[in-house]
Amino acid sequence: MIKVTIDGREIELEHPVTVLEAAKQAGIAIPTLCYFEGLTPFGGCRLCLVEVEKLPKLQTSCTLMTADGMVVRTETDQIRAARRSMLEFLLINHPLDCPYCDKAGECELQDLVARYGPEAGRFAEGKRRHPESFDDPIIVRNMERCVLCTRCVRMCNDLQGSYSISVTGRGSHSFVEPFSGGRYDCEYCGNCLTVCPVGAIMSRLHRHSYRPWFVEKETETVCGFCGVGCSMVLQMRENSIIRAIPRRGIGFNEGLLCVRGRFGYEYVEGGEELTTPLMKVDGELRQVSWEDAVSFVVKRLREIRDEFGGGAVGAIASGRCTNEDNYMLQKLVRFILGSNNIDSAARNYYAPAELYLERIFGQGITANLISGIANSDGVFVAGGDPTAINPILGLQVRSVWRSGGRVIVLGVPGGLKRFIPYELTPVPYSEEIVLSAIVGRLLEDKPLRGENAALEAKLRSLRIPSDDELGATGVSSEDIVRVAGDLSSMTTPVVVIGPDVVQRKRASKSLFLLGAIAYLTNARIFLLAERPNYQGLLDMGCLPELLPGGRPVELEMFRHKTEEALGMKAPEEKGLNLFEMIEAAAAGRLKALYVMGENPLFNIPDSAKVEKALENLDLLVVQDVHLTETARIADVVLPATAWPEKEGTFTNLERRLQRVRKARRGKMASYGRDDWKILADIAERLGMTKTYHRVEDVWEEIMHVSALHTGLGYEEIAGGSALWPYYGEPLRGMEGDFPVEGLDELPEVTVPEKPYLMIDRPLYHSGTFSRRSKALLGIHPGPSLVISPLLAERHGLSDGDKARISNGRGVLELKVKLDGDIPDNQVFLANTFEGFGAMGLIGFGTDSVLGSIYIDDNTVRVEKVLR
Amino acid sequence: MDIVDEIRALSGKYPDRRGALLPALYVVQKEAGWLSQEALDTVSRALNLPQATVKGVATFYSMYKHRPMGRHLIQLCTNVACMIMGAERLVDLLKEKYGLEPGGTTGDGRFSLVVMECIGACDRAPAMLVDTDFHAGLTADNIFRILEEYE
Ligand code: SF4
Ligand code: SF4
Ligand code: SF4
Ligand code: FES
Ligand code: FES
Repeated sequence: MIKVTIDGREIELEHPVTVLEAAKQAGIAIPTLCYFEGLTPFGGCRLCLVEVEKLPKLQTSCTLMTADGMVVRTETDQIRAARRSMLEFLLINHPLDCPYCDKAGECELQDLVARYGPEAGRFAEGKRRHPESFDDPIIVRNMERCVLCTRCVRMCNDLQGSYSISVTGRGSHSFVEPFSGGRYDCEYCGNCLTVCPVGAIMSRLHRHSYRPWFVEKETETVCGFCGVGCSMVLQMRENSIIRAIPRRGIGFNEGLLCVRGRFGYEYVEGGEELTTPLMKVDGELRQVSWEDAVSFVVKRLREIRDEFGGGAVGAIASGRCTNEDNYMLQKLVRFILGSNNIDSAARNYYAPAELYLERIFGQGITANLISGIANSDGVFVAGGDPTAINPILGLQVRSVWRSGGRVIVLGVPGGLKRFIPYELTPVPYSEEIVLSAIVGRLLEDKPLRGENAALEAKLRSLRIPSDDELGATGVSSEDIVRVAGDLSSMTTPVVVIGPDVVQRKRASKSLFLLGAIAYLTNARIFLLAERPNYQGLLDMGCLPELLPGGRPVELEMFRHKTEEALGMKAPEEKGLNLFEMIEAAAAGRLKALYVMGENPLFNIPDSAKVEKALENLDLLVVQDVHLTETARIADVVLPATAWPEKEGTFTNLERRLQRVRKARRGKMASYGRDDWKILADIAERLGMTKTYHRVEDVWEEIMHVSALHTGLGYEEIAGGSALWPYYGEPLRGMEGDFPVEGLDELPEVTVPEKPYLMIDRPLYHSGTFSRRSKALLGIHPGPSLVISPLLAERHGLSDGDKARISNGRGVLELKVKLDGDIPDNQVFLANTFEGFGAMGLIGFGTDSVLGSIYIDDNTVRVEKVLR
Repeated sequence: MDIVDEIRALSGKYPDRRGALLPALYVVQKEAGWLSQEALDTVSRALNLPQATVKGVATFYSMYKHRPMGRHLIQLCTNVACMIMGAERLVDLLKEKYGLEPGGTTGDGRFSLVVMECIGACDRAPAMLVDTDFHAGLTADNIFRILEEYE
């Protein structure tokens, strides 16, 4: 026990903390400038000076540790004089342009000077000059204002892990700069902007458009971009978003956001939102009234159901819509129209992977706390870069490295490159062999514990690759020994699984192997989620085989429970999944498709095939915020509300239920209607007897129908700590067997002559949504083919040249971008930009075990385009 | 040995890669006489250290140059002892003879001049460094004899 006296108050401390923290605990605020909670103390500004008895000089309380018997005073004349002097020094160079500075009103320097003075400076020489830099599309740098507190640099290095800025020069010519001195080449998290105490680095998005006291309203909500679900505050003025900012104390993201969350919101401010419903008349989409559009949809759905049966109707739900929206779509299709044909883009990997892992380990196996990753002592990542797909989760992985843990990445490390001790990049499509070898080696060290009989039986019959077979992957047996040794030595490991391992042939085997690694090392599994509510899709029953609450539709007992709770009937057999619906549409068996918040024409591989299938439908309804590629070929388009106008809930990848709150309303809001409301209206007209007045009514019903949500009302959820009732133990054990494809086989490793076209998942974008965000476009303006310098050389290409890629599915001409960090013989292209999506050129098949897609035949011919 | 290998070999001598940063910067500076963005990038890649970190360190120390320098760098001390012993006259002479200003480079790219604070040779003032060679006891005569040796 440490006893200290601060300003006459006695404080008892369990552990030694700094004097500043001890004072804070006692409710005494010491002024600071270079200190920022969560960053390593720096002790550079000397504003936190305090008097400590028996120490001759004033001490910086942010760096001084408490010791037993210390007597501290935080405000004396001597201290005030010292603070005033420190401020006078800072003001020598600080331009007094507060009237013009956007920071005024929330500037820490301004506040400190207002409190301690000086009233006037005595320095008669001129101030240093350094022109404001507008080289960057997002961050404007005014280094004359910089007080060199280094908070931004510590944020960028120590918490963000981007290491993109540093203090350059020395003395009064020190400035904070990115490497280029102008434009940033960084992750654009904007977290440096959060910590800058003055107006030295500011966002250009809202430059000179507001003052902090102009904020009329703040809305606490969760980010609508990915499955991490960061909390944020939308600051509003006149129904327009001024800023999206994080706030310490709300959410588990602890005051951090990524580029998409912080700057991406503009996609809903772009003025491109749909304003009225559209209907196809004589082959052209025309504006119609809501009444005409809705009654047409109702009429056609009824006719199709009556003529062909419920099975002729299908729906695609959305990982960007709330639980309430998705629940209602599911209810309409399943319980009103009598069809289990409902699925979503979560089918691309998330849903099948999760369901498969749950078959092995039980429901909830991937429900783990993101904030727990940082406490683990090792991470194994396979199938995607968490720092790009789920950036704030990626930061947790980086912090494992920072605290001395080991991070192993199977595949291109991307944003984890600086955080791994060695690379493990097998040739494409040979991951299965490498994983088998790792498991084989682990089995030598780790005894089977007999907890999971089915899994252990399979491990016994697993074919372990010989050294020769392994050799073909480009990974050596020494590498395997090293990886397995590292995995064995971890005591609290984490396995992170991304989309790419699932979108491979025999995905069940790769998932089984990753599951085996987790089982053998006792690891927690995380499944990366590209969309904010992928998990909600599963929980709300937006799957052909699952009812709300994750209950299998084909198990009578479960179906009856749901039917009883609702007083309505669901079809007994599972429905068609996303790809089966496309096939059925092409074959004329599926007649009507209701698409909510999804763009299948762009987001499913082989778009030519998808387009043909969709054109073959009798009725295609698209409900969305924008006129997407799919909406353009629809029969009816219904405008929906966008994320800042929605009330409801998202479920993140850790199964945390979080409230999405409406920030905009009134005439400035888009003309769309809430997805759930449109659906409820249609359902009512088709005979649903229940009416919902508010979104809470929908949630009430979900709580009643789904065992996972019992007792979790909006009030419980509001605090942000409502998780599925799962505490590290599976909810429902899955005894029994599970299938694995090709346990005793190994794939042949072929290195094709032509390069593979791979899906890039860039940090700066999120599907096709973000292409409407001006800010994100400023950072990443358009599509490009990312290739290695080696591949470029073979085709005579240099950075910025135009290249043509082609295969039987299509041709694209795009600029190339060289990247030394990506493997040879692969072309990376994001599936983001209209007309230039990677999915269009990728062939796929569906996995017989998982029902997910695997990428098949994705080689392309690369040529230089000569002008 | 190419420059990247040379830097990597250096880094083996230090417990961590950051330790090799200063010597690595000398290695690349030796090539062109100054540190271009590309040179800093080479160091960053060779040592796997962030570019911004490399730049921060490189711009802190005055012995690293951030704009092109002449083939030979004259670092002439003008601090107290050297000043008393006539260093300022030498600065004027350099200007007269070569058109060389402090901080400048001759038109033919032969010499660059930097005036220094004390270089620790007060007992033999005035003193200068030409590249890495040390010369003391300079006079209006011998300074040019010395400099003529550098082509
Ligand atoms: S935006 Fe993020 S990555 Fe970029 S400099 Fe700031 S903290 Fe670093
Ligand atoms: S830019 Fe801001 S945060 Fe960074 S050192 Fe300067 S004042 Fe501090
Ligand atoms: S990590 Fe995901 S949820 Fe968090 S701010 Fe970024 S996109 Fe939004
Ligand atoms: S806050 Fe303690 S020295 Fe700056
Ligand atoms: S003053 Fe010139 S060497 Fe000391």
